[in-house]
Parts: sequence; C-alpha cells; structure tokens
Amino acid sequence: MNDLISVIALPAMWSGGEPSRIVDSLLDALLGMLQLDLVYVRLSEAAGRLPMETVRFARSQKQSVPPHEIGGLLSQWLDADLQEWPSRMRNPSGDGEISIVPLRLGLQGEIGVVVAGSERADFPLQTERLVLNVAANQAAMGLQQARLLHEQKRVASELDQRVAQRTTELAVANEELRKEIAERTRAEEDLRSSEEKHRVILEAANDAVLSMDEKGAIVLANPATQSMFGYDPVDLVGKPLTILMPATMRKLHEAGYQRYLATGERHLNWHGVEVTGLHKDGREFPAEVSFGEMTRGGHRVFIGLIRDISKRKQAEDKLRASERGLQVTQAELARVSRVTTMGELAASIAHEVNQPLTAVVNNGSACLRLLANRNLESDVLRRALEGIVADGTRASAVLARIRAFIRKEPAEKNELDMNELIQEVLILARRELDAHQISLDQQLTTDLPFVLADRVQLQQVLLNLVMNGIEAMAAVTSRPRFLGVQSRIDESGDVLVALSDSGAGFGSEADRVFAPFFTTKANGMGMGLSISRSLVETHGGRLWAKPNSPYGAVFSFTLPAAGGSPS
Amino acid sequence: MTDTPVVFVVDDDSSVRSSLKFLLSTVGLEVESFDSADSFLRNKPPDAPSCLVLDVRMPGLSGLDFQRELLARKIRIPIVFLTGHGDIPMSVRAMKAGAVEFLTKPFRDQDLLDAVRIGLERDRVRREHEKEVMILQRRFDSLTAREQEVISMVVAGMLNKQIADQLGTAESTVKVQRSRAMEKMNAQTLVELVRMIEKLKGPPEKRR
Repeated sequence: MNDLISVIALPAMWSGGEPSRIVDSLLDALLGMLQLDLVYVRLSEAAGRLPMETVRFARSQKQSVPPHEIGGLLSQWLDADLQEWPSRMRNPSGDGEISIVPLRLGLQGEIGVVVAGSERADFPLQTERLVLNVAANQAAMGLQQARLLHEQKRVASELDQRVAQRTTELAVANEELRKEIAERTRAEEDLRSSEEKHRVILEAANDAVLSMDEKGAIVLANPATQSMFGYDPVDLVGKPLTILMPATMRKLHEAGYQRYLATGERHLNWHGVEVTGLHKDGREFPAEVSFGEMTRGGHRVFIGLIRDISKRKQAEDKLRASERGLQVTQAELARVSRVTTMGELAASIAHEVNQPLTAVVNNGSACLRLLANRNLESDVLRRALEGIVADGTRASAVLARIRAFIRKEPAEKNELDMNELIQEVLILARRELDAHQISLDQQLTTDLPFVLADRVQLQQVLLNLVMNGIEAMAAVTSRPRFLGVQSRIDESGDVLVALSDSGAGFGSEADRVFAPFFTTKANGMGMGLSISRSLVETHGGRLWAKPNSPYGAVFSFTLPAAGGSPS
Repeated sequence: MTDTPVVFVVDDDSSVRSSLKFLLSTVGLEVESFDSADSFLRNKPPDAPSCLVLDVRMPGLSGLDFQRELLARKIRIPIVFLTGHGDIPMSVRAMKAGAVEFLTKPFRDQDLLDAVRIGLERDRVRREHEKEVMILQRRFDSLTAREQEVISMVVAGMLNKQIADQLGTAESTVKVQRSRAMEKMNAQTLVELVRMIEKLKGPPEKRR
C-alpha cells in the first residue's frame, strides 16, 4: 500500500518537469518499489521529435543493454494491443527468459509504452499490476502535462520567437522606412530649399520675371510684375505677353518672335534690350529686357527679365538737364564775366566818347583862336565844322551802342544757398587759383539761411571779389598766397561772406577802393568793387573792406537772411 | 639842320589826330601825326626841338610802355600824355618818368598849348645843352692824353707844382700843357674850364 501512495505522490515531484525527468523518476521508483529486473519506457514521437527510449536494469543484472536494443526486441509488439503481447521474453541482459508486463501511457497509448520485466515467474502479482497501472497513469498524466506544458512553452517560445523575429523585421523595415523617409525628406527638403531659393529670388526680385510658352502666353509672373505692370501675377497667366507692351510694339514683337521660332534668328540682343513697357493704367515706361530660353517637356519656354529703368532714365535726364543747367549757368557766367568787364567797359566808354568830344573841343577851340586873330578862313572853318558834326554824331552813336550793350535786365530774386554759390564761383575760379598757386581756405558754415538775391548778380559780386583777391596776390612772391573764404551768420542774423587774401592790400585807402576808377592794379580800371558794392546794396546788404593782418585785405559783405535754409 | 620846332601827335583816333593838328597849327606849330607808337618809332626823328603828344590808351604799345621804350632807346623827347580818364597812379608814374603833363580828354586848348610849349622849350634847352656838350667833347677829344690828364687835375683843384710832382715832370712843363689845353678848350678862365668839364661829365642825377 505504501508503494501505491508513493506512486500517487509522484506527480507532485513531476509538476512542471521535463518528460525525461518524469521518465527517469518513474523508472527509478518502479525499479525500487517492485524489485524489477528491467523497466523500459518508450515515449512516442511528439511534435516532430524522435521517440525517446529509456531503460533501467536492476543491479543484479549482468549487463546493461542500450534502450534501442530493448526496443528492437519489443518492436513486433510495440504497436499491437496489450492482449497480444507475450507474458515472457528473452532476458536481454542475462540468461533465460523474463516475465514482462506492458503498460500504456495515455488512454490509447498515444504517449508511449512502459514495459516492466522481472525474472520472477509469478510476476506480476495483483498488487504489482495495480502499482504499475497507477504509476503508468500517473506518469501518463505527468507526461501529458509536461507535454502540454512543453507544447505551451514551445508555442509561447515560438510565439516569442516569431514576435521577436517579426519585431526585428519590423525594426528593420522601420529603419529602412525611416531611412527612406529621411531620404525622401531630404530630397524634399533639397527640392523645397532649391524651390524656395528660386521662389525667394523670384519673389524678392525687383525685376519682373515672366515666363511664356511657345505661343507667347504668360505661364508665370513674379510679384514684381505687379508693381511694375499693375497686373496681379495670377491674372497674367495665360495672357499674351504683348499686353505688357504698347500697341506700337506688339506687331514688331510678334513678327520677331515668330521669326525666331521659325528660324532661330535673333534680331535683338537678348540681354539688356531697351523697350517700352505698358502699365495696366496705360502709362508707358522705359524698360530693359533680357531673355532666356529653355526646353521643358519638349516645349520651349522663354523667360524674360524686365527691369523698370524709369529711374535710371530720369537720372540720365536729370544729368542731361543738369548739363543743360550747367550750360545755362555757363552762359550766365559768360554774361557775368561780360558784366564783370563793366569796369573796363566804363573806361572804354570814357575813351570812346571822349575821343570825338576831344576832337570837337579841339576843333572849336582852334576856330575860336583863329577867329580871335581874324585869321579864320571859310575853308578852314568849314572843315572844322564838318569835323565837329561828324564827331558829335559819332559820340552819339557810341552812346547808342553802349545802351544796346548794357541791356538793363530786371534783377530776378530767388532764395539762394550762399555756400552753393560760393562753390560755383570757386569752381569757376579754380583755374586762376591754380595758375597763381593760391591755396584756398574755406570755412563755410553749414545750415546757412537762404538769401533772397539775383543769382547772376551775386555770382558777379563773388567772382569780382575772388578775382580781386587773386589779382591782389599776383605780385606776391615773398609769402604764401592764400584766399580765405568764410561764410557765417553775423550778429544781426544776416548772412556774411568774407574773402581774405594775402595780397598787396590797400594801406589806408580802405574806403576809396570802392570809388569808381580807383585801382591799385597796373591793368585795373577800378570799376569792379564799385559795381560789386552797388549790387550788394541793391540787395539790401553791405560790402566793406578792411586790411588783413599781417598782409592783404578782407572784403566782407552781408545779405539779409531770407528765412528758410537749404537743409 | 633847322630850329623849327615839331610837335608829334600819336593817337589811334584820326579825328582826334586831325583836330590836334588843327589846334596846334593855330599857334604856328609844325605837326606830324602818327596812328601808333610803332609808326612813330619807324620815323627818323628830325633834328629840331620836338614834343610828343601821346594818348595813353592805344592798341599795341600803351602810352606808358611807349614812354619806357623811348627812354630805353635814349630818345629824350618830352611827352604830353592825353588820357580818357583821370587815373591818378598812372599819371603819377608817367610824370615820374619825365612826362611834361598829363591831360584828361577833353582838355582846355590853352592847357595843351602850354604843355606843348613847355615841352618844346625843355627840348630846346636839352638840345642846346647836348649841342654844347658835343662841341666841348670835340674840343676835349682834340687834347693830348697828357693835356687831358693835366686839366682834369687842374679842375680837381691841384696846383701846377702838385701836378708836376705827381706826373714826375717839371712845373714849367705842366704850365705849358695847361695853357695849351685852355686854349684848345676855348676857356678864358679857370672857372670857365671847370664848368666845361662838369658839363662834359653830365649831371650825375641824369645817369640811370
């Protein structure tokens, strides 16, 4: 009975065990309990495994035999019913025969078979058979369980494995996908950045960029197109390019375009062609066009870059205008210099009028003398009178000529920038300054208020004073020659200009220098300063002279400020 | 050789020229007129007292330049300047350079005639002086070297004895040479001889 209990307790040991361990402990228990001479177990193949054969022999047995030899001996009955098994068989490990009992593991023996053998002839006793049956059942259950467990594990492990494999596959796939995505992203990025670059260029460009197809229809227009032509770039798509040019140019363009498409002949330089653009509002403007051509999907696409050159043109026009202005100024200056020669002119007037007057007086005086001496013959008198008439007429003609020459023009007063005038006059006098090796010292106060004056007359005054200074220094060799030009606002708020030189000066005659015909120059006629003073005075200013220290003279003049200022 | 004075008129204006000629002729003056300084210079100056009436302002050589040019050529003709306007510094310079007068056109006839008369008189005196000097020079040149030596020492105030000592000859020899020289120079007295020699040397202030 104890054996039976032990056998029933076996499964507790087996729980969760491996089939081989179950088999081993089963065999050991049966061999020990029942004093068997051999126990053989054969587990039938399961889940693709080879059948497992195990054998135990009692210590008393002479030799051990490998389990497959036992299996070989039993092979003819292994698959047969238990009733067909013999009760005795040859002892595989000793002499003679042994009694055997086959037992099924599992209800149909699906798990395997156990064969217990003993040399005893009475084997098995009733109790032995019971123990064997119980043990076999227990073992079958254990093995079943083990097999299930194993199967579970196997399945679980297989599942794990498959999951792992799948996971790995997925990871790899993921990785590849990720790479691909990265690749694609980068490509997209590249594309985007390249497109972005082009887009930015296109959108930021000040030039209008238009592309058109072979039919001359606009395919694309950048934002600059809008500001230049007034059309929304989107609206332009599909429109003919010719709507951007004045009607007069359209046919010409059309003809040239068709000719190019047909023959490839370019009648225009494709870079920087000057054309006329037509704004949506009808305004025409000068533009410069450069063309490019490319082939896309078998079609030719033309790209035009259009630059609005109105500003440039304006600048050019301005330049031309300022050149014209310069010419006008030069003409004015010519007049100024003509007027500047007023001093010489005055002397010339004196001479030209004095000549006939002198002759008249001489002739008259001579006649009077002869008359006093009662010696005046009528022939002589006639000749003298003829001379007097001729000279009187001539004097009057001289005066008429002079009147025509000095056409008194009304002064035109404008708000003028004194510093600008000074610069203009210095430019004019530059050659003289250089020729006389005179260094220029300019101290011009910026932000001077405007003065209200006639530009030409003021230029004349400045030029007179500058030339005066230059001439005053012509003979100076023992000291540096310099011309100081200063502009500032004086105490009473007037604009003051002072020209100082290191010339000969005028000693104590500071006031007399402004008298007509006063001069210290060998070739001077003494009219320049006189005229300058009267010009300054007609503008409401003053002109005066002071000796410069230690040499030369300072000529200063003031003009009332006109209120506004150049800046 | 004639002593009839001649007035030269240089003016580029023909009516002024002829009126001047007419005016000057009323006082019996001989007038020759030229339209420029150059044409005047090309003309050989006559051997007679003369005066130049000159317009300051002319094309070509100006009046003042012309004055300088004449001085450089040692043509010491008195000049009466005529000018269109009263340029004081110019007139000062002209006068300093020896002009007789500086008249502003139109002038009073008397002023011109007076100026011309002064000019002619000044020229006559100068010519006489020059003639005298020329004669004296001719006489002086006729002396022997030793006679010239002796009289220059006499004029310097040396006594015969001193002269003899210095020349290393006898006093009597000096005496003879001195009286012969006096005779050749046509000098009656020592004082006369001294004046003659001074004239020959010329006034120092005239040397320029």
